[in-house]
Amino acid sequence: MSQEARKKPLITTTGVVAMGVGTALYAAFNVFFNILQLPGAQLVALRPSVCIPMFFGYAFGPIVGFVSGFLGNVISDAISWGGFWWNWDVGNGLMGLIPGLAAYFLSKDDMYGRKGLVSVAVLAVLASVIGMGFAAFTDYVFGYGISTIEEAIYALFLPAAVTNAINGAILTPILVSAYASAARGRARRV
Amino acid sequence: MASRIIKYVEKSSVIHKLDPRSKLILLFSVLASSTLAYSLAVALPILVFSFIIYFLAKLPWSATKNTWKFIVSIIVFLSTLNYLFVAVLFRHGGKPLSLETLLDSEILARTFTPIVKLLSLAVATVTFIYTTPPYLYAPALGQIGLNYKAAYVVQLGLRYFPEFIEEMKRTLEAQMARGYKPRGGGNIVARIAALAPLIVPVTVSASLSIYDIADAMELRGFGENKCHTWFRKLKFSKNDFLVFALSGIMITAYTILFIAKPI
Repeated sequence: MSQEARKKPLITTTGVVAMGVGTALYAAFNVFFNILQLPGAQLVALRPSVCIPMFFGYAFGPIVGFVSGFLGNVISDAISWGGFWWNWDVGNGLMGLIPGLAAYFLSKDDMYGRKGLVSVAVLAVLASVIGMGFAAFTDYVFGYGISTIEEAIYALFLPAAVTNAINGAILTPILVSAYASAARGRARRV
Repeated sequence: MASRIIKYVEKSSVIHKLDPRSKLILLFSVLASSTLAYSLAVALPILVFSFIIYFLAKLPWSATKNTWKFIVSIIVFLSTLNYLFVAVLFRHGGKPLSLETLLDSEILARTFTPIVKLLSLAVATVTFIYTTPPYLYAPALGQIGLNYKAAYVVQLGLRYFPEFIEEMKRTLEAQMARGYKPRGGGNIVARIAALAPLIVPVTVSASLSIYDIADAMELRGFGENKCHTWFRKLKFSKNDFLVFALSGIMITAYTILFIAKPI
C-alpha cells in the first residue's frame, strides 16, 4: 500500500458508524415518543429525543451531529406518516451541528468536566433557537403551508424552539456526563 | 412491529416498477417546482401532477388511511391558521371587517397558495415512500453517484432503527419492573429529567457499541477502496427515461415561469 492511501480520510469508518447509529437512535426515539406515547409524559416532554443529535454532535463532532439530526428526522418522518420536509430536516441537523462546535473552544479534558456540561446546556439552547428558526423562516420564505411571518414566529418558531431548548438543555448534559463515566477507562473512547 | 413501521406496499403498478433513482429525481423536481411556484394558478398544476402519480400507483386505502388522516388534519389546521392571520389579524390597509373583505380573492389566494404547495409535496413524497422498498434506498443513493460512505450511513440507519426501538421497549419494561414511572410531579424540569432512566441506558450503550461496529467493518475492508459495488444492481427501463424527460421539462418550465412571471 502506498503512503498516500494510508492518509487519514476526512470521514473515518468510526464517523460513518457514528452517523448511522445516531440516525437510527434519533429516528427510533422520535417514533417511540410520538407514536407509542408514554403515559404521563405527553405534551410537556414534546420531543425529548432532540438530545440525541445534540449529544452526538458534542461527542462525535459537528458533521456527525448534523447527519444524525438530518437523516434521523427524514427517517422518522417517513416512518410516522410518509412525508419529507427538507427545511425541517436541515433545522434538525443544525440542532446537532451547533453543540459540535464545542470541540473548537474546549479542550478534550474540559469537554467532559463541569465547564463542558454548562457549555453543552448553553449550546443546546442556542442550537434549538438557530435550528428551529431556520426551519420556521424557510417555511415562510418558500411558502410551505404558511403565508405570514407572524405565523412563522408564533405558531412554528416559538413553540418548537422553546420545547426543544428546555428538553435539550436538561437531557444533553445528563447524557454527556453518563457517557463520560461509562467510557472512562475504555480504550480510545471519549 | 416491523410490518407496522415499514410503509412500503407491495404492488406491480407503473410507479412501483420505476427505478428508485428516477423516483428520487421526480421527487426532487416536484420539490423544486413547488418551491418556485409563486401564485395559486402556477401551483395548482403541480398538485394535479402529484395526484396523477399517486393514483397511478394504485395504493390501497387501508394502507394509506392513517397517513391521509395526518395530512388532512395538518391541512385543515394550517388553512384555518393562515386564514385567521391573513384575513383577520394582520390584514392590509386596516379595512373594516366585513363579509366582502373576508371573501376577497387576493386573501383567499394568499391563504391557499402555501397549502396547495404543501399538499403537492406531501402527495409526491407519500407516493415515493409507499412504492419504494426500504432496502433499495441505500443502493439507489449509491448508484445515483453519491459517495458509498454516505449511502452506507442511510443503510446503517435503517439497519439499526428497529433494533433501537426494541431496545427502548426492553429498557422501559426493565425499568418499570424496578418501579420506574415516567412521571415527575407537576414541575416541567422534573418531568423531563424523569425520562433520563429511559434515554441514558439506550444511548450510552449504543454510543459505546459504535467503536465495535466500526472495527468489525474495518476488518472486512470498509473504507479501503474508493469505489464500492452494490449487490442490488439497478437498471433503467423505457419509462424511466420518460420520467427524466418529464422532470426536466417541469423544472425548466417552472424556472422560466419564476423568472418571467407572466401571470
